[in-house]
Amino acid sequence: MSRRNYLIRRVIQAIFSLWVIATILFFLFRLGLPDPTAALITEGLNAEQRAAVRAQFGLEDPLWRQYLLYLWNAVQGDFGLSFANRAPVASVVWERLANTMVLMIPAIVLAYVIGVPLGAWLSWKRGTGTDTGGIALGLMFRSAPPFWTGMIVILVLGVWLSAFPTSGMRTLPYDADGFLDKIFTLDFLHHLILPALVVALFYLGSPLLIMRNTMLEVYGEDFIEMARAKGLPERRILYNHAARNALLPVVTQLAVTIGLAAGGQVAVEGVFSWPGLGREIFRAVGTSDFPLAQASFLVLAAFIITLNLLVDILYTALDPRVTFQ
Amino acid sequence: MTMTRMTTTSSIAFAAALVLPAAAAAQEPVPPVEIYTTTESYDPIRYEGAFIIQEAWEELGLDVTVTPMEFSTLLDRFYSEQDFDATILGWSGRVDRLDPQFFLGTLDSRQAEPGANNPGGYDNPEYDELFDAQAREFDIEARRDIVHEMQELYMPDVPVVVLFHRDEVVAYNNTAFTNMNAMAGEGLYSEWGAMEAEPVGDRTTLRIGGPQEPDNINPLNSTSVWGWKWMRLYYDRLVRLSPEVEPVDWAATDVTAEDDTTIVVTLREGMTFHDGEPVRAEDVAFTFDYYMDSSYSYFDSYLEPVDSVEVTGDHEITFNLTEPSASFATITLSQIPILPEHVWADIEDPQELSPDDIPTVGSGPFVFDRYDRGEFMSITTNPDHFQADEIAVDGVEFLIYADAEGVFTALDTGEVDMTAWRMEPGQIPLAEDNDDLTVVSVPDFGYFHFTFNLRREPFDDVAMRRALTMAMDRERMVNVLLEGRGEVGTSVIAPVNEYWHNPFLERFEFDMEAARAELEEAGYSWDEDGMLVR
Repeated sequence: MSRRNYLIRRVIQAIFSLWVIATILFFLFRLGLPDPTAALITEGLNAEQRAAVRAQFGLEDPLWRQYLLYLWNAVQGDFGLSFANRAPVASVVWERLANTMVLMIPAIVLAYVIGVPLGAWLSWKRGTGTDTGGIALGLMFRSAPPFWTGMIVILVLGVWLSAFPTSGMRTLPYDADGFLDKIFTLDFLHHLILPALVVALFYLGSPLLIMRNTMLEVYGEDFIEMARAKGLPERRILYNHAARNALLPVVTQLAVTIGLAAGGQVAVEGVFSWPGLGREIFRAVGTSDFPLAQASFLVLAAFIITLNLLVDILYTALDPRVTFQ
Repeated sequence: MTMTRMTTTSSIAFAAALVLPAAAAAQEPVPPVEIYTTTESYDPIRYEGAFIIQEAWEELGLDVTVTPMEFSTLLDRFYSEQDFDATILGWSGRVDRLDPQFFLGTLDSRQAEPGANNPGGYDNPEYDELFDAQAREFDIEARRDIVHEMQELYMPDVPVVVLFHRDEVVAYNNTAFTNMNAMAGEGLYSEWGAMEAEPVGDRTTLRIGGPQEPDNINPLNSTSVWGWKWMRLYYDRLVRLSPEVEPVDWAATDVTAEDDTTIVVTLREGMTFHDGEPVRAEDVAFTFDYYMDSSYSYFDSYLEPVDSVEVTGDHEITFNLTEPSASFATITLSQIPILPEHVWADIEDPQELSPDDIPTVGSGPFVFDRYDRGEFMSITTNPDHFQADEIAVDGVEFLIYADAEGVFTALDTGEVDMTAWRMEPGQIPLAEDNDDLTVVSVPDFGYFHFTFNLRREPFDDVAMRRALTMAMDRERMVNVLLEGRGEVGTSVIAPVNEYWHNPFLERFEFDMEAARAELEEAGYSWDEDGMLVR
């Protein structure tokens, strides 16, 4: 099969998956979540008044009509208005997603930049105290709940030492012309450090352990033996020959991590009051804000599907033995 | 659900009839009951409270199940479907509920239909009659007598048990601001707080930290108390409720009842909107008409008594009511903001306004500055307002955090000066240990209630309800679950609401012996397993 046909097939598959997910989301929320006006009861609204609110949200129409309208609008990129504040959810989701990614990407990159060479190095030191200590450390941060790590970091670096701000993306209030203007500031970097550190520590364990274990497998291969026989320096064998061949599983893991990162680390966004997508999803589901919840999850799904597609393509570059068959 | 319960009951009855000798066969076991409450994660207090009740009721010989439920589902089951035996829920103490109208209405039989506020189904014609009478009574003393009588009337029937009122515990930074007065049911974040606060530190802008933010700041769409808590700072109302919760003239200089259904309001002269336009009587009339024409249901109950509004003079507005309404001044006039006609008149579908298009022009003591969703809100002091000389701060900023933990850290580090919402129990001792922080505790007039479904056995029997109420250790709930920060409930009108609360009511103290006696007297007895029969 040609590369082009392969790509077309994959894209069609991706669109089909999105449609299935969109449908599941639509019915899941409407059948599974409570009536979005239920909370208004405690505000003293009676049944008739709540029905008026439901009508405003378009929820009094038959379900099939709501569904068709939703699909039709979604195809045109219109995901409707948030129940809470009538904001177009698409713009809310993109803005929050950007906020989340600007925290997650640096943190994940940091985790992989440190984790991958560290894992390779630990494999070299296998069986020693360094190896055991490194594994233990990686596992510890991986198992420690990020909200807990976050609280410790806030207490020590934020409250006791007063070295870093403990919440938000910027010192409030701030003015910014668009997203880039918001993040290309020292103030933003200052706010980014603590949450990014917590996220990076959490993610550090994966590349570290995967790299170390794959390296150990690679060491048994003939070409390593060959390299040694050629009298290459150990350092060169480690990084140029073994590490390159051990990268494949790490790249897969990286793609999955970034894909899932779009949903944010809700706990970290909570502890640091980071205005990201995770917090928004949490709020949307908690208040049955269907349009916002649907759009958020759909964007997450699209993100993961796209990244998987990219990884498959990237594989062919990393390892020429992988073909489109 | 109902089907299963009926089958179980009848099969128990059947079995009992087989086993017991003929003499006892006339005695029917009391059907098992199910208590609905919140999940532990939503509210551990109501969750634990249900088990305290279950324990004592089982001791009395009742078969009790506790079913925790996700909050919105619980609301739906209780209000919309009315499919419950007994439910633990609560009413929050919004300031307009200090007027007795709302809470007394929760026992009005005309509110017993599905979706309304009396899901327990209490039906007492005498009570309903008094409810109408107090609603019409303009003489405040006479109205109070009726309100007291209503509490006396319903209490012995215990259609609902007010479990407790939970204190609102908040804190502020005393090195930054002083003259911070908490208001019942509102805490520090009341409509007076910002007007009274006096800076003692460098910053002259009051900073509030909270985990809640408005759903939106559209005065024709917000359906959350957090929207209105903010908006009321930059919109004027004709009347404001004083910290002692009495209506005081605000944008109005006079409110006179010409007769039972005609109220004449004189508008203060010389007021301007924040865009410089004068506030005219036409704006007031426009606002009321605009609200009545809109499908904004949040204000429906406030506007219910209004038939029409007319401009009857340069600064005079006349309200014609459909029927006499005692709460017109305390609720209606104190809650409806004055909107500028020249801004809103051309907006046809105000509920669909997107956040960027929502007008924020008011005439209030503060001027809207900005609202960055999920992050920040601010208002500045209005130098042209008639109250401006009394206000010491230059403005108010509201910092939005993800949770109460973030708010407390901010208070601790001096980033904010006060909490908008109650602190977590674990934070209170930490705040008390910090010399810079002053902890304030205000009683709430909202309440947590235990509602019996009066349509179902065994709660259709008043003696049973009385006995079961005596078997609720509410003192223990307050001491253990609230760590003493609260008060055992009596009537639906809280003790802190001194003017309307009737202090001479049956108290139903925790007393298992009295509960047993009450049951015996009503003809209940116990079988050999100690289970209640009748």
